[in-house]
Amino acid sequence: MNTTQKKNPRDYAMFDADISGAVLNLKLLRRLLKWLVPYKASLALSTVLVLIASTLQVMLPIIISLVAIDHIIRGESSSDSPDFGLIDFNSNIADTLGIPELVAACLLYGAIQLAWAFCGHAHRMTLIGPVINGLRDLRLDLFRHLETRPSSFYDRVAVGRIMTRVTNDVEALYELLRGLGTLVGEFVPFFVALAVMLAIDVQLTLALLLALPILAMVTYLFRRKTRFLFRQTRQTLSNLNQSLQENLAGLQVVQLSDRQQHNLDRYTQINEKNRLFEHRLARVETLYGAFNESLAQIAIGLILYYGASQLMNITMTVGEVVLFTQFVTMLFHPIVVLGEQTNILFRAMASGERIFQALDWDEIIHEPSQPVALPSRLRGEVEFRNVRFAYDATMPVLDDVSFTIAPGEKLAIVGPTGSGKSTLIRLLGRFYDFDDEQIFLDGLDLNRIHSADLRRRVGVVLQDFHIFSGSIYDNIALGNPKVTLERAIEAATIVNAHDFISQLPEGYHTPLTERGQNLSQGQRQLLAFARVLAADPEILVLDEATANIDTETELLIQEAVERLTKGRTSIIIAHRLQTIQEADRVLVLEQGRVAEIGSHEELLAANGLYATLHSLQFQSDADSLPETSSAS
Amino acid sequence: MKPTTDEPTLPPTALLASLWQLRRFIGPHRRGLYIGITAFGIARIFEAMVPVLTAVSINRMVDGDFDVTYPVLGIIGAVLIRYCVVSFARFSVRRVALKVSYDLRQAFFNKLQQQGSEFFSQFSIGDMMTRAVADISLIQRLISMGTILLIIMVYATVVGFGFMLYYSPWLTLLLLPPMPLVFFYAQYSAKAMGEASAQVQDRLSDLGTHTQENLSGIRTIQAMVQEENEIARFASTNQAYADVFYEQGRINSAMSSWMPSLAAICSLTILGYGGSQVLDGTLAVGDFVAFFMFVNMVVQPFRVAGFIVNLFQRAGVASRRLFEVFDRPAEITDEPGDGAPVELAGSIDIRELSYSYPGATTKAIDNLSLGVAPGETIAIMGRVGSGKTTLLKQMVRLIDPPKNSVFIDGHPVADYPLTQLRTQVALVPQDPFLFAEPLKSNITYDDPARSLEKIWEAATSADLKDTISDFPDQLDTLIGERGVTLSGGQKQRATLARGLIRHAPILILDDCFSAVDTETEEHILGELKRLRQQQTTVLVSHRVSTARHADRIYVMDAGRIIESGRHEDLLANQGYYAELERVQREGGEEDDLERLRVNS
Repeated sequence: MNTTQKKNPRDYAMFDADISGAVLNLKLLRRLLKWLVPYKASLALSTVLVLIASTLQVMLPIIISLVAIDHIIRGESSSDSPDFGLIDFNSNIADTLGIPELVAACLLYGAIQLAWAFCGHAHRMTLIGPVINGLRDLRLDLFRHLETRPSSFYDRVAVGRIMTRVTNDVEALYELLRGLGTLVGEFVPFFVALAVMLAIDVQLTLALLLALPILAMVTYLFRRKTRFLFRQTRQTLSNLNQSLQENLAGLQVVQLSDRQQHNLDRYTQINEKNRLFEHRLARVETLYGAFNESLAQIAIGLILYYGASQLMNITMTVGEVVLFTQFVTMLFHPIVVLGEQTNILFRAMASGERIFQALDWDEIIHEPSQPVALPSRLRGEVEFRNVRFAYDATMPVLDDVSFTIAPGEKLAIVGPTGSGKSTLIRLLGRFYDFDDEQIFLDGLDLNRIHSADLRRRVGVVLQDFHIFSGSIYDNIALGNPKVTLERAIEAATIVNAHDFISQLPEGYHTPLTERGQNLSQGQRQLLAFARVLAADPEILVLDEATANIDTETELLIQEAVERLTKGRTSIIIAHRLQTIQEADRVLVLEQGRVAEIGSHEELLAANGLYATLHSLQFQSDADSLPETSSAS
Repeated sequence: MKPTTDEPTLPPTALLASLWQLRRFIGPHRRGLYIGITAFGIARIFEAMVPVLTAVSINRMVDGDFDVTYPVLGIIGAVLIRYCVVSFARFSVRRVALKVSYDLRQAFFNKLQQQGSEFFSQFSIGDMMTRAVADISLIQRLISMGTILLIIMVYATVVGFGFMLYYSPWLTLLLLPPMPLVFFYAQYSAKAMGEASAQVQDRLSDLGTHTQENLSGIRTIQAMVQEENEIARFASTNQAYADVFYEQGRINSAMSSWMPSLAAICSLTILGYGGSQVLDGTLAVGDFVAFFMFVNMVVQPFRVAGFIVNLFQRAGVASRRLFEVFDRPAEITDEPGDGAPVELAGSIDIRELSYSYPGATTKAIDNLSLGVAPGETIAIMGRVGSGKTTLLKQMVRLIDPPKNSVFIDGHPVADYPLTQLRTQVALVPQDPFLFAEPLKSNITYDDPARSLEKIWEAATSADLKDTISDFPDQLDTLIGERGVTLSGGQKQRATLARGLIRHAPILILDDCFSAVDTETEEHILGELKRLRQQQTTVLVSHRVSTARHADRIYVMDAGRIIESGRHEDLLANQGYYAELERVQREGGEEDDLERLRVNS
């Protein structure tokens, strides 16, 4: 690792910026396709199936118009009819089976309908499968990527922001791909029908196609108008809910302040605003709602009019006119669907960008190119040698910190908030990158050890304690095969956790929810101790919890800490007097520097910062506080 | 709101009864509904003109008459008229839906504001939010979509079958059997799709929860080198979601295939039987074509039948849930008696008050009596759950006390208009709740019109001045998620200012110093003394340092007063108070430690 190279300052704000996709981003689509590549066989099959299904779909009206009306009923089919050979085929069936042609047409119609149903279903399934699987893979890749980002990333980016990328944004991509699939299902029959129509009458077909730009224009205007109104109604509705929610949460204060009328008035205002937008939305939507079908029906009228004149010239048959009227819907519908899908497409573009932004976020903890393998047992000596560290270039958090902890020694760290205590222990677990030759474990530079190896030897108990889904036992063992149930029980017993665990309905097999709602704060702390003890790390790092815990549990915890640290190199960010007194030495940090280090008694005698802190924290008489305490 | 699989379905009579309750809200707007229903009928007749005139045109062509100008003009005219009428009809009905949901929201909000602790011990805020959001929107959808679809279905059936009967009664009768088939399949698949989508929602929310909880604990996960285990665990949640998602896709796709196929039975019947009629010469070619169009008209609404049924069922449940709230009487009634003074002097008199919460077996307050003279300051102490807060709430009728047990200035609290009582008796509750509004609106919450000076004055008395001065926006600082998050102590002082600014004849502080350090508390208590010399103050606290200066101290236990008197008297008494004093004097308070470290 290069010691002199400074980290590029990262723009975390970028991660929080609003991305609103406004353009069709082809690069993004192409990149997305990479996740579909493993399923390309299924996708190819799907493409073939959609072509077959579309052709079958077009054949159905042809049987009614060209086969039944023209051929069977009127016996006047024109030789150049684009009937896919259905007329001859139908006659063959009738001849072979010896049945009337009409009956044969019915059989054919039924068979094609069934074949269409099967092919359509098969087409959709062979399409959905790859899409679902591809996005499942993408989501997993994204999760894997996020799971391995370093602490510095999570310090700066809110979990909520990241989470929605895994959930909502991947969902939006699904909508995108499904939308594209729907469009394929609409446009392929469109083109097949178009080919048939062109074969019958070019002029009429082109005339009908002229209606499409009108339809597209109206659809576009409608979508644009409603997009705005949708946003407004959603916004006002969410304001309404927020207002209600807050009013309920603070109802007592509302009632005590006699504000009911005033708040109702304010709620009414938002409610009215919402109704106004809903009203406008309803007006636009109802105007558009019947537009497409009306346009299609007018087109039917025009087909009849034109068809009659062609019929007179014997250039079209009655069946062909009927076929045109039946195709009208197939011609217009794709445009409407396209309109429906555009919003989704654009929204999904933004989602895609957010996902790839996260996937491209390459912030990592640097690992040594040739990591040193640790011996099976470490002595447990830790040395900090002139450690300087800053999260960003401007503010040094640790400034020339040097000290050594002997194997088995217990060191308590105290200091005001912001003095660098947490940073110190985070560096020991290599949660942040720092320069080489600064921290040593048994004389070995920390940066030469792989972080995962290191973390197995440095047991960290943090304040924000995380419970994993699974049983109590799972939470103690954490997938380590060496931790048998016996060993877990042993560990739990040592840290005073066995008693409460035994009282749980299923003992060590009681399932825990991730937030551990079924455990109290103190019990969770004890469980964390058991977990770390079972792993038996050579170095223990403990950030003592400050939360209020009842006196009884407090005593259990004190005792557990004592047993946990016995004979083990331990670094404790201490908040309790007893913990400090029991430590071998106390390190006082102040603004990133070592202010004092020594035993409790030595430091008290020195009458420095520690003595002041000590008197403030532990010997204060509430009524006679020193003047300085609130001055800062 | 996510649909849940365990949503109850009501039996038909209960469903109708539940929906019938809505007449109270729909009634005032029924005119729009009538107009809509009439207009839909007219529109349907004009819509039927398209197949009718198409048949006419084709019949003419078949007969060798190629002038179809009039039928075609008829089609275009009918389409234009139908477009206008049907758009109007839809708009009328949707407007009714909007008005009804507006009224429902207003009524809901208003009703909830009148409820108190008893109501909210039964219903959570989350539950109420679901009803306000999901249930009202279901009613709105019932009217704007359900009613419209139902009307369309009825008219389409009547008009469609009417015309078909006219063309060929026998063929029409043959078309009837497939209809129930379409209907029941539609209903079946709507149900299956509902269940599938509920599954998808559940698994999706699992996925969200999993991600959220995992990322929240990322530091521990990395510290314990659990990344690979967690990725594997996520993969299984992810797979579970993909599985139900695929299943939902399968159901949807199957329906897209089978629904048109069922409908195609009708087309097949027309083709076979109708075709033979045409060959017989009993049916004209144009009428044959019109049959296909009419059948489409009739089948289309049947395809959404399942959706309609589902909509009515869910709205029925929603309506029942809403009326559960609407039918609930207001917890606290405002029916003032005569003779209560308009300005309070400030005496409180509690006479043999006993109270138990509904459903509770033990009494929260047990035959308690105490008296406070105007201008006195009293303190109430006692363990958590000893009944202190219950007692305070009865003084301002957040909980209604039994008749003739709580008196203010000699009159029962129920005799005062609620507005007067709560304006002149200011209670600052234990939980320091702040609204997501500017700080100044929070302080002068009861009267937004107060001057800035008064707000600063109250803030100063509550020792909040320095804190506010540190904010760039000062009093305009927005509180809450989108603004500044205040610490527990700052919140408490802000709510304290909200109480102090009212200069009420009686001020009740329910444990308002618990997160404030003792020095600040001393200062505020001094301010209280200065400001409220002639006024009554009731303090609840766990700290001896708060209570010691009161004119009288009451110690409560299990709803009764077990000790009372001045600080010195109680110390001499060697009871609970004296013990508390000893513990607090010797041990200091545990939360002092943390605070001092932050300050130093």
